[in-house]
Parts: sequence; structure tokens; C-alpha cells
Amino acid sequence: MIMDQTAQPQRQIAFHLTGTPGGHLEPVDSSFRPALLARYRDLASLRYDFPVVLVEDPADDAYVRSLTSTVDGVLQELAPRGIEGEQVRRHVLRAEREIRSLVAQGARGMLTDLWERAAPDLPDVGARLNVDGEIADCDRELPRRLVEHAWQNVQRRKAGRFHADVNRLVQTLSDILRAAFIGSQAGRAPESLRAGFGSPHHDQFDFETMSRLLAQTAPEDELPTDRRERIEWALAVLRRQRFFEPSPGTELAQRAERPFEYRFGRCADAVDAFRARLPELVQFVKAISIAELEADGRYVASEHDAFFADFGEESLAREDLTRFPDYLVTIDRDQSAAAIELLSSGLPVKVLVETEELLDPGNFGFGVRSTQLASTAVGLIDVFALQTTSSNLYQLRDRLLAALQYPGPALLSVFCGSATPSSDLPPYLTSAAALEGRAFPAFTYDPTAGPDLPSRFSVDENPQPELDWPLAQLEYADASLQRLAEQVAFTLVDFAVCDRRYARHFARVPREHWNDNTIPVDQWLSLDRSEADARVPHILVVDEHDSLQRLIVDAKLMHAVRRCREAWHALRELGLARPPPETAPVDEPPTEAIDESAPAPAEETVADERVPDEPWIETPRCSTCNECTAINDRMFAYNDNKQAYIKDPDAGTFRELVEAAETCQVAVIHPGKPRNPNEPDLEELVERAQAFQ
Amino acid sequence: MTVALRQCLLHLQDEHHTLEDYEGGVPRWCNGCGDNAILAAVQRLCRGEDLRPERTVFVSGIGCSSRFPHYMGTYGFHGIHGRAFPIAEGLKMARPDLDVFVNTGDGDCCSIGAAHWIHAVRYNMNLTVLLHDNFVYGLTKKQASPTSPKGLKSNTTPRGAFLDALNPLSVTLGVPSVSFVAQAVDWIPQVLYEIIAAAYRHRGFSFVRIIQRCPEFMPGMLDPWLQDPSKTLLLTHDNGLELAPELARIYKNHREHDPLDIDGARRLASSADELPVGILYRNPDVPCYEDLRRAGQARPVERIRGCLEAELDKVTVWPADDAGSAA
Repeated sequence: MIMDQTAQPQRQIAFHLTGTPGGHLEPVDSSFRPALLARYRDLASLRYDFPVVLVEDPADDAYVRSLTSTVDGVLQELAPRGIEGEQVRRHVLRAEREIRSLVAQGARGMLTDLWERAAPDLPDVGARLNVDGEIADCDRELPRRLVEHAWQNVQRRKAGRFHADVNRLVQTLSDILRAAFIGSQAGRAPESLRAGFGSPHHDQFDFETMSRLLAQTAPEDELPTDRRERIEWALAVLRRQRFFEPSPGTELAQRAERPFEYRFGRCADAVDAFRARLPELVQFVKAISIAELEADGRYVASEHDAFFADFGEESLAREDLTRFPDYLVTIDRDQSAAAIELLSSGLPVKVLVETEELLDPGNFGFGVRSTQLASTAVGLIDVFALQTTSSNLYQLRDRLLAALQYPGPALLSVFCGSATPSSDLPPYLTSAAALEGRAFPAFTYDPTAGPDLPSRFSVDENPQPELDWPLAQLEYADASLQRLAEQVAFTLVDFAVCDRRYARHFARVPREHWNDNTIPVDQWLSLDRSEADARVPHILVVDEHDSLQRLIVDAKLMHAVRRCREAWHALRELGLARPPPETAPVDEPPTEAIDESAPAPAEETVADERVPDEPWIETPRCSTCNECTAINDRMFAYNDNKQAYIKDPDAGTFRELVEAAETCQVAVIHPGKPRNPNEPDLEELVERAQAFQ
Repeated sequence: MTVALRQCLLHLQDEHHTLEDYEGGVPRWCNGCGDNAILAAVQRLCRGEDLRPERTVFVSGIGCSSRFPHYMGTYGFHGIHGRAFPIAEGLKMARPDLDVFVNTGDGDCCSIGAAHWIHAVRYNMNLTVLLHDNFVYGLTKKQASPTSPKGLKSNTTPRGAFLDALNPLSVTLGVPSVSFVAQAVDWIPQVLYEIIAAAYRHRGFSFVRIIQRCPEFMPGMLDPWLQDPSKTLLLTHDNGLELAPELARIYKNHREHDPLDIDGARRLASSADELPVGILYRNPDVPCYEDLRRAGQARPVERIRGCLEAELDKVTVWPADDAGSAA
């Protein structure tokens, strides 16, 4: 018995080092799930973020809503508070549960249709859902569907702005041509005049005579030929645009050409399409620029003709591209390199990279690739980057929208789980476990969020980002049914244990052999090397009967866990980069003390410049009443602000100065002293001038 | 659609205007008339804001002040008596891209045009309205107007005006949707300019009552205020008018007044002791009628014609129908 007790740790260490179970250790063959996920066996009975409703034609940014929040909205409206509303609440919540299980079984469709299937007895509630749209569960297809849905919403709004601008310009340019025609000789020809009248009254007018009369007064400034051609060319280009679906009900909608497609499955296809459309795009930007100038009456041939003659691809700026639809490229992880190349080209592209597999055997680079991707995206400087798992997409819906609205390239990297999963967990839990276990950490890099890296880069979307591994409370009952609770970390090992292909890295320790030699993975990782050699890491899992088990982990997997933790550290530190220290403030020269009792400098200058006994006017107070200029406009004149000053004191008499001062209602004219001592009646004038000195 | 390219193109064409660019005909107003001061202030505003003459319109009714559009080098519409507002509103509705000013007088606005005035305030369209108030009909050689002081002897009131004067500020401030009300006087050019500039920059119906001299028919009426600056109360505020130091030395009677305080504005407007000058009320959050009624899409002539035809078809009696009903 004593020998057996000492042999246990050695057996456990041996497994840890070699991966070969033996003795009391049992190979892992049945499926286990992390103890922290024990409560999530029946997702249909839980109210959580999924499924979601991809809202049709949302009026605001709420392009996606969880089923739960939608139902809550209905309940608030329908079910009274308290016991009276209890029955309604119960029925509605049952319908929600039913929809959730239908969707989990693969049902697809609109929310209202599913509601009818799930709760045919509650049609009133279905009619008051307020929103409708496709239902989507957290499955392999979710990232693609959600991103495409959000992208379509962004493009729809863009199309609205685009059409408003183009329609306005088309109308204004058409009006210019129409006005020119009406004023032209052709517009005043008898046939044109006849066409302008209702047919019942044709007999009552003599259009020939009317045309002759009008022709005599026809203006001669008809539209110059070059301007007419320019406007007609711009109109033609604007009308045949294929960048957006034409807005219904307009003349643009009547043409047959189909608009361009912007969704692609390969980077190269997107680039080829962009290149092929570039000449048309250049022509359109040129046309719309000309149209803007013409509509504004600001086209100056001498300035602009040369500019537009040389207008080409290199004339385009990124701002010019933002009005057109963004390209949406959906690719898998294998095309990552091509994606980076595409993003760095600066094209208006949004790239969705779907990662299906994180645990492919032989690959232990968990989390490392995320760091690579983040570093690359940050290096591209002006690319919006967002990485997360499909389970977290709903929480990050605003960030996703921001990425798609960003006026530049964006990279969306999402872990969506494999189509052929090697785990018994539903896709939502697999995806959530990848995020929790730092196997696929979330981050965003938003170039518009600030001037430096720390403000742009964020890992805050991860659970408890300040820790190496997120901690959660695990509550369970022991053999004597006593309730126990402990803090348990969710690590990469918890994520790996869900995958059957990783079973060989684990061995089960039967309960009777549990001892202190094994310690939780997170604690084991914090030991130094010598201590770690003497202990074996374990995780807590539950079997299919929800019975708590300990699995010990081999060194190979633990090595991968260490690397994953280092990658997580590196990712976190990326956002902590410090901006360069601020330059020390330069000592400003001391400002001179202002003596408030002293007169204002301007006034002083004026006073100094004023020659004593010279006539002068308080020009800023002049109210432009024309009284003084009417007396003598060579002596009094207006400045650039149309306010009076004395232009030439010798251009008139002292009498005129005094009379001007007397008529000035705001009394701003000061006549000074007489300049000509021989002027008649000087004594009397000097006396009258006294009042204005 | 403002884009980098367009900005570059506009820079190719450097456009700066001088005061002369905004001058039209030579004013026929009397010497000493306050209209001259208003004209100078408005021309300075156009230059200061670099308004394009071909994109600026002055609309007026009838009266001395309504000759204003003739003296501007912009577009203008010298309308009919009391109807400046509906013309300006229609213009703004059709061409919201234009800067539209309204020049009206105390007779034009407060008498024959009173109904249009009240509703124009209520509509709150983005117009800058200058009420030239000289307390008399000057063009018709001295007839009492609604703002003439009680007791004024005129050609129409030889025994003196019987009624108390209408207060245009109080009336305007009493209309729901009022968004900007200010009072200026023609003899303090700097303040006049700043108030008109604030009115222009306000998005909404900016109503500025400008008290002006009529040296021909009301000589000396405003002398007490001209000669004694302390009778003028200048309203100042961080969000309103800020007085230049040299002006503050002359006009020592000033008071802080928050332009968002409508009750305070109403009290000031009805004050009989002092003449308040400044921004009485300004609320940028009142919606403009043209924004509320803006069509979602362009309305080319074909579309309008199509809609009209469709409407008329509803009430058209076709020959076939006649035949059918007769049968």
C-alpha cells in the first residue's frame, strides 16, 4: 500500500513526460467536456445571444438582434408587470425555446415564419415582433451570413447617398440644358412653342407670329458648344453608371445593364474585377467632378480643361473611392497571404478570413497565428482589423459595422469552427471555448480610434483580458452532496480536451487516486521549472453523467499551452506600446505685464498719429448715412468698409467741415482748426466747431 | 458630395470678393437715412462670408427699405406689398442651396404682410430677415405705420396716432417655432454687422428688427438714444454678442443675457425704459420647414408631369365613360 502511494506520482509524471498511460491511469476514450461547460448541455433551454435575427431594412444601426432581446421587447409591450402578465410571459418564452430548438435542428427561414411554426396559437404576438428577418444560429455559416448582411446594409446606405447626389446632379444639368433650349432660337421655333401648349388650345394661338416676336428678343448668350458637350457627356456618364443598382422610379432605372457584382471568393478575382472596372470608375469620377462644378457654375474652362484632359487613374484619391461600393472577399485561412497583399494595395475591400481549424493534429501554433495577423494588420497602418470567434460576433456587432463603414480596407478574421467537427460540443460552445482558452483571442485595430497604437489597438473584447486565463466559479456537489465552489481557470487545455483527436494527450486519474501531486494547469504554468518537474498539471472535466473527473495532461500539449500564453502576452503588449515621450514644453518668454489703466494701444496709436488741430473722423462709428459725402465727396470719402474718413482736408472749406459735423447724426466728425486763415466768417465757424472738438 | 478632388478643383479658381462686387445701383434713399447703414453692413457681411453674388438673393416687398435688392449686386426680387415672405419661402423651397435674405419695412411686414410674417416665423425656414423699422411709411410721405408711437401726427393721423405701437419683437417671440430674434440699431455699425452676421449664420428664420432713422419724416425722434448711449442696453453673452473694448467704453449699459432664455427675451422685448440691442433669442434646435418637407428623391420635370397627369386622370371624365353612363 505504501509502495502504491509512492508509485502514483511517478506514474503520473511518466505519463506527463511520455504520453503513455499505465498503472492506475486510464486512457481517455469517452468524450469529456470542461467542467465549466457542464451547465451548457441543453442550449435550447438557455436564453443567450443566439440565434439572431438578421433584421431586414433596419432604420438604424440595429442590423442584427438576438432572438432573446426581440422577445423581451414584445414582452415589455404585451405582458403587464406582475402576476397578470405571467401567463403571457410563459407562453411567449415557450415559443422562443421552441424556435431555438428548431433552429438548432437546422431550420431556416424568417422570424415570422418560424414563429408561426413554433407558436401557431400566438399569432398576435408574432404580428407584434416589430422586426423581421432571417434567423441565424451560431454555426459554420454564421460569420459569412452576418458579415454579408451587415455589408449589404452599409452598401444600401451608401447607395442612398450616391443616388441622392447623382439624381440631384442629373436634374441640375438637365435643367441647365432645358433652360438653354427654351432661350435658344430652336426653343422659340413654332413647333417648340406649340409643344409647350396643351393640344386643346392650339387653334387659339398663332405660333408662327409668336415665334417671330420672341425671336426678336432672343438672348444671344446661348450655351457655348464646348459647355453643352461637356454637360451632355457628364450626363451620359452619370446616367449609365453600373456601380449601384439604379434607384427605382428614376430614369436611370430604365436602362438594361446589370450593376457590378462586388462579392468574391478569391482575392485575385476581386483585384481583376477592380482593374477591369477602373477605366469606367475614372470616367465616372471625372464626370461627377465636372457635373459638380457645372451645377455650381464654377467650371472655368481656362483652369479646368487642362486638368480634366489629363485625368486618369493616378488622379483618384481614396476619398473618391469611398462613395462606391466596397468589395467583399470571403476566403479561408489558406489565402491569408493573398489577403494581406490585397489589403496593402489600398483597394476599397473588406476581407473576411474564415478559420475552420485550430486543432489540426501536428500544429501547435495556437494563438501564435493570431499575433502574426494582428502585427501584420497593425503594420499596414490604415487597415481596420477585427478578429473574433463566431460566438462573439453578436457582442461585437457595432465593431463589425464600424469595420464595414470604415472608409478603407478592413480585415475580418473569424473562427467559425469546422464543417465536420471533431467534437461533440455545439458550434457555439466550440467557438466560445476557443475565445475563452485564448486559442483564438479577439482584438480590434481601428485606425480612426486615435493617433497612436494604444488607442487604436484593443484586446478588451476578450474575457478578463488582464489575466493569463479567464477565471470562473465552478460549483459542484461532492460525494456527500455538499455544495462546493472553487475558482477555475479556462485554459487552452480545456479547449483541446473537447476535441477527440487530442484525447491521447490526456489520462484520467480515477477519483480514488486523486492526490496533491497534480495541480490545475494554470497553477502548474506559474511554477518554476524545477517545481514543475515534480508536479503534473490536471484539468477538471465532466463525463457524460456530469460526474467530475481529473485528467492529467502530457508535456507536449503543455508546451503548446506555454506558447499560446506567450502569444497572448505578445498580443496584449501590442496595445500597450507607449507613444514617444512628449517634448518638454519650451519656456515661453514672459508676457509683459499689462497695465489695465493704460489706454489701449490702438487708441494710443491713433491718438499719436493724429496731428493736433487736424480734422478727423471716428471712422468705426460712421453709419454710412451719406450726409458728409453729399456735402463734399472730395474731402469726405468711404473706406473699404464703406465708412467715412477725411480723404483730403484741403479739398474743401472749414465751413464744410463744420456743417458736416453738425449734420452727422452720430457726431463722429471733428473739424479741428481752420487751415485757411483768410476764410470768411471764421470766428463764427470756430465757435460752432467747439462742440465737436 | 464634398470630396478631396472637388476641393482641389475649386482651389484652382481662387474666388475672393470685394465690397464693390455686391454693389448694385446708386441708392436713392435720403441722406442720413438708416437704410444706408444697413446696406453697408449687409455688403460687408457678403464680403466677409464670401457669398457668391449669383447664389445670393434679396427679396423685398414695398416701401423705402424694399428698394434694397436694387442696390445689391446679387439676385433680387422686388415683390409686392407685404408678400416678401411667401416669395422668399417658395424660393428657398425650390432652391435650398441659395442664401436668401428678406428686406421688409414696418409697414410692409407688420401691417399688410402681418399674416405672412406670423406664419413665416412658424415655418422657420432658413431665411435672414431684416425688418427696417423707421416707425413710418416713408415712401408714401409720412403715414402712420403699426410701429408708429402713440400720438404721432402724420398724414393719416393728423390728430395723432390713437393706438399703442405694435412691438415686432414681442409678436415674433410669441410665435411657436421662433428660433432667432435680435434687435439692432443703424447707428452702431459694428454691432449691426455682428448681429446680421449671427442672423445669417443661424440656420432657421432669423428675425432682426433694425431700428433706423428717418431724417425726412421722423427727424429727431431717435435723438435721445443717439445722444445718450446709456439709454441703449447692449445684451452680451458668450453665446451671443461680445463687445469690443472701445465700444464697451462708450456704451456702458450692458447686461448678460443667455440667448436660450426665452422668458428673459420676452421681458427684454417688452421693456419700455431701455432699448435692448443684441441677440434676444436663439435656438438652433428648432427644425426648419424645408428639412421636414424635403423629398427623398429628385423631382425631375418628367416625374412631376407624370404625377400631375395621374392626379388629373382621377377626375377626368372620359368620353367613353360618358357614353357608358348614358347607356
